[in-house]
Amino acid sequence: MPEILPYVYLTYMFISLYMLSFFLLIYIRNRKTFFKYPHPEKQYTISFLVPAFNESATLRDTIEHILNTGYKNILEIIIINDKSSDDTLKIAKELEIKYSIVKVLDNPENLGKAGSLNRGLAIAQGELVSVVDADSYPAQGSIDKMIGFFNDPKVGAVTCPVVVRNRKKFFEKLQAIEYKVIAFSRKLLDYVDSIYVTPGPLAIYRKKALYEINGFDTQNLTEDIEATWNLTAKGWERRMSLATEVSSTVPDKLKAWFVQRRRWNIGGLQCIYKHRKALTKKGMLGWFIIPFFILNTFLGLLGLSIFFYLLTTRIISNYLLTKYSINAQTPVIVLNDFYITPSILNYLGIILFVLGFAFTIITLIILKEKIIKKENILNIPFYMTVYLILYPFIMLNAIWHLIKGKRIWR
Amino acid sequence: MFHSQKHVFWQALLITILIFSIGIVLGIVLENWRTSKISTLAENSQLDFLDIKLQSEIYSNEEFNCEVAVNENFKFAEQIYEEAKMLDRYESASRLTEDLKLQHKKYDILRGMLLINSIKIKKQCNSDYYDIIYFYKYNSEDLDLKAKQKVFSRILEQVKETKGSDVLLIPIAADNDISSINLLLDKYNIKQEQLPAILINNKIKITEIQTVDDVLNYLN
Repeated sequence: MPEILPYVYLTYMFISLYMLSFFLLIYIRNRKTFFKYPHPEKQYTISFLVPAFNESATLRDTIEHILNTGYKNILEIIIINDKSSDDTLKIAKELEIKYSIVKVLDNPENLGKAGSLNRGLAIAQGELVSVVDADSYPAQGSIDKMIGFFNDPKVGAVTCPVVVRNRKKFFEKLQAIEYKVIAFSRKLLDYVDSIYVTPGPLAIYRKKALYEINGFDTQNLTEDIEATWNLTAKGWERRMSLATEVSSTVPDKLKAWFVQRRRWNIGGLQCIYKHRKALTKKGMLGWFIIPFFILNTFLGLLGLSIFFYLLTTRIISNYLLTKYSINAQTPVIVLNDFYITPSILNYLGIILFVLGFAFTIITLIILKEKIIKKENILNIPFYMTVYLILYPFIMLNAIWHLIKGKRIWR
Repeated sequence: MFHSQKHVFWQALLITILIFSIGIVLGIVLENWRTSKISTLAENSQLDFLDIKLQSEIYSNEEFNCEVAVNENFKFAEQIYEEAKMLDRYESASRLTEDLKLQHKKYDILRGMLLINSIKIKKQCNSDYYDIIYFYKYNSEDLDLKAKQKVFSRILEQVKETKGSDVLLIPIAADNDISSINLLLDKYNIKQEQLPAILINNKIKITEIQTVDDVLNYLN
């Protein structure tokens, strides 16, 4: 094992360097059009679907924000109450009375998000269908900055950056950085037709495209990823408008965050399994998106295995060393133990870390993120080390849950 | 109309291969520089040793100057001990090349020569300093053995610190398949399974962990 480790590290470094070069190249080539969006050739009619499960705290504001987007051709806002146990239904009914375009569907039983969306989709009248999570607030003008992409008849879905609304706590700030990096890289993937998710907080779909994929997969825990892959498989293009945004809340506790990410991971694995045959077919789904997900999973798990191997050997070594040192009455630690002669892997690792750090800073500068000016810049290295290192643990837990058949939302 | 830029996949790959290759080449250059540094030191040490040997030969034909011979031997032992420490550090940081392993063998042979020379000088001069030979395994990944060897090294370092010039410490890797070292192991009846082993004055053999005081007791 120790003999192959340097080669494993070099492979990781190569892949990281490749992704950095890949993103940087795309950005350099497209920086002038990065925030641009096409003006709509027509005012498409649009139906909003707002699935809600125990969202009484934010539902009203979500609907107000949809109405305040300023888009002139909103046909309807369909709130689908998914058997909430709080005041969600009551608030939805009040909104229905207050605004003539608001309609309420009340699920007789809990159908999950995908099931709720399918109910809404079945009655949606618009040419376009927009999904908005009941805790998310689309920015003013967001729809106008997104629907121009539908001028191209091949486009089936349009997404925009999701920004973190609650960012007082340290943990929330880390997620704010993460969301910005995700938004930036998703826009870059747009240029190679490889957007792999149109996230729930705000996504607009061509209704015809959603019908073609038979709506949302109720068996999948990440219906947004699955729908995007399904659209890709059917040849529909996905676009990203970086000119606008939707704000959403993120978990403020580690456990809630872990559960959310585990769900994302389980959903991703379900998608890989469902669409595995695309690997042999032409198109970006099989050529890039699925291999990218598989590679990500594999590298994460391999990294975790190496981590545990190194940790175990270190613990055993230290235990034995301590035991023998006590027997011999010699010091357990001597000054020489802290003397490190750096290897080429150390140098390359540092260079890669600096490049990754620079990439994150550049991302935040380009997206005009306030962390650069107003918040602690040391959050970034913390995000790059401690926060990102948690990913493989979540993946491992997700696989365990999947094997055990625990495909639950929460 | 949107135009996909899939050629970026290939361009990024070419750039990555280029940058990565430069990194690997720089890594090899760095490791080769370290090897060449150690190699130069080893060659100088070889010359120094030949010089000591020649001095001994000259003295043996006339009046043998024990003080000079012993001092030179100690000085040389110190020198290669420090150089070997540097070699160990470089070896632990070596990832792309294996040339340092050869240098390690050179130092083991040098230490073997030093030992033989020391035995000869002690006999001729009737000196009362202690030879401590430390035979260890160089190629083992066994965690228990590595921990044990680390503690053996620390015990000997402390012994050397306490006894100073009363002790000539010679650590030798015993599993590098060097015929002369194998001969020494046979001579002192030390089996590979018994490693690590400490040999004091060619008589006392220690193969189990002992306290520093216990080892010092053998020297008193």
